[in-house]
Amino acid sequence: MTDPIPAKARAANLRLWNAWTRIHEQSAYYDVEGFKAGATSLRPLELGELGPYVHEGTTLLHLQCHFGLDTLSWARRGADVVGLDLSDEAIELARKLADEVGLSRRAAFVCADLYDADAHLGGRLFDVVFVSWGAIEWLPDLERWAGIIARHLAPGGTFYLAEIHPFAGGLEEVPGEHDVRVGYRLLPDPGHPEVDAIVGSYADRGADTTGLVAYGWTHDLAEILGALTGAGLRVEHLHELPTSPAPFWDWMVQDEERWWWLPDGAGGRRRDLPLSFSIRATRPAA
Amino acid sequence: MLDDYLKANLASWDEAVGLHVDAQMYDVEGFKKGRCSLSDLEVSELGPFVHEGTTLLHLQCHFGLDTLSWARRGAVVTGVDFSGEGIRAARGLADEVGLSARAAFVQSDVLALPDALQGSFDVVFTSWGALIWLGDLERWAQVVAHFLRPGGTFYIAEFHPYAFLLADDSTPDSLRLGYPYFQYGRPQRFDEPGDYADPEALPESTVTFEWNHGFAEIIDPLLRNGLRLDFLHELPSTIVGLPFPFLEVCADGLQRVKGHHDDFPLSFSLKMTKEG
Repeated sequence: MTDPIPAKARAANLRLWNAWTRIHEQSAYYDVEGFKAGATSLRPLELGELGPYVHEGTTLLHLQCHFGLDTLSWARRGADVVGLDLSDEAIELARKLADEVGLSRRAAFVCADLYDADAHLGGRLFDVVFVSWGAIEWLPDLERWAGIIARHLAPGGTFYLAEIHPFAGGLEEVPGEHDVRVGYRLLPDPGHPEVDAIVGSYADRGADTTGLVAYGWTHDLAEILGALTGAGLRVEHLHELPTSPAPFWDWMVQDEERWWWLPDGAGGRRRDLPLSFSIRATRPAA
Repeated sequence: MLDDYLKANLASWDEAVGLHVDAQMYDVEGFKKGRCSLSDLEVSELGPFVHEGTTLLHLQCHFGLDTLSWARRGAVVTGVDFSGEGIRAARGLADEVGLSARAAFVQSDVLALPDALQGSFDVVFTSWGALIWLGDLERWAQVVAHFLRPGGTFYIAEFHPYAFLLADDSTPDSLRLGYPYFQYGRPQRFDEPGDYADPEALPESTVTFEWNHGFAEIIDPLLRNGLRLDFLHELPSTIVGLPFPFLEVCADGLQRVKGHHDDFPLSFSLKMTKEG
């Protein structure tokens, strides 16, 4: 099957993620030194919701793993992990980090486009498939994505997704104000990627990213849930949160748990809008 | 407090029944002559699960037009509404169109329904402007699960939660936020003249208390009560019923955002099946 990502988009996004890898390795956001010293990069959300399904020896596939901090954080909790990402520089860094923290024996990393995952993973089945934060916007075709998840999930296995909320993806800054309004990037339009010039990174807003562009696709909850149920998975939970793991604008405010909030204009935090969501789903046992 | 909200909303709905039986939007005369009040969406998505003899429970049925439209399609229906006026009008209509033998109507707050009704149903149905009147969807989901037989179908077609967020002065070029997605159980108080089906009307009970509910708030309790998700659909159109100035009625009779007919979700439908 042909890759649903147009060649031009794939090349641009690869270039972007390789550049971001170099920026992110040095960023306070990713805090690689802290990770090396033993800190987990996972948030209380993932740890609380997926943690109970990850034990010593649990096999875990992390799709779109970037440079592997979360993958390796699951490995530190006992999982035997495979991380997959399209960026060769990210995979190289992930392998180097695995070595440095002594997790090479329980962590493998695969450099591949998401839609080529089958060819790189063979028929291997995992207890857990994990995807998080800013992953699916890079994918035009969620049916094929969900098919890959289902084909690599053992019967009874758990899929977990923590992501930016589609509603947040549709928000735009009100010009001249530290406030948001609703735009029209809310419903899927698979044939028409959004092409955005990149200014910095979600992890380092001042970083030099001159000339980089991103090709992204809009998804709504209906499409995400429909892809998963269509692939035969059973949805176990859907949660929505008023916080984001990264700032969309530099005037958002961070709390002590590394969540970013929209300010309410009166010194407080807006709790009324959905910025993130999580889904847990299982592959039925029989 | 909840009782105060319920009382205000009940007064509003009791009064609305009298307005709606004569309102063009509900077209009761057309219904009596055989018109189906259901929209194409419900007929195409739930219709395949409603056959001759299918038992169907309609929650928050108002004065029963949709309930009776399912009965006309062969279902044996029970409509529930908290408004005594609505239930009285529904029973009268059932009589008039000869569907009394296959249509029962029960006056009850939906959250208290297990105290007022026994039995289980092949289908539990609810639609268009129902959820905003419920403060507690945890209890609501328990009621839905309670009345569904194992293998039975739950279906809802509703206004999209995003549609209720926009400020009253929003325009298609600037969709400002005016209302919350997450309400944490606290209702919005509205005090507005007119009626959605009859803007010229001057009802006496104008104060209502309403709750917007996000998708997690709607779907998650149903999952926890043993329902399996079949589909969620999000649509850039809705049946007429949202009184927002940035919407327009299109040639197909559905409302969409002016100039952005495909771009903003205004309704959703959700089908789930009780495990069993």
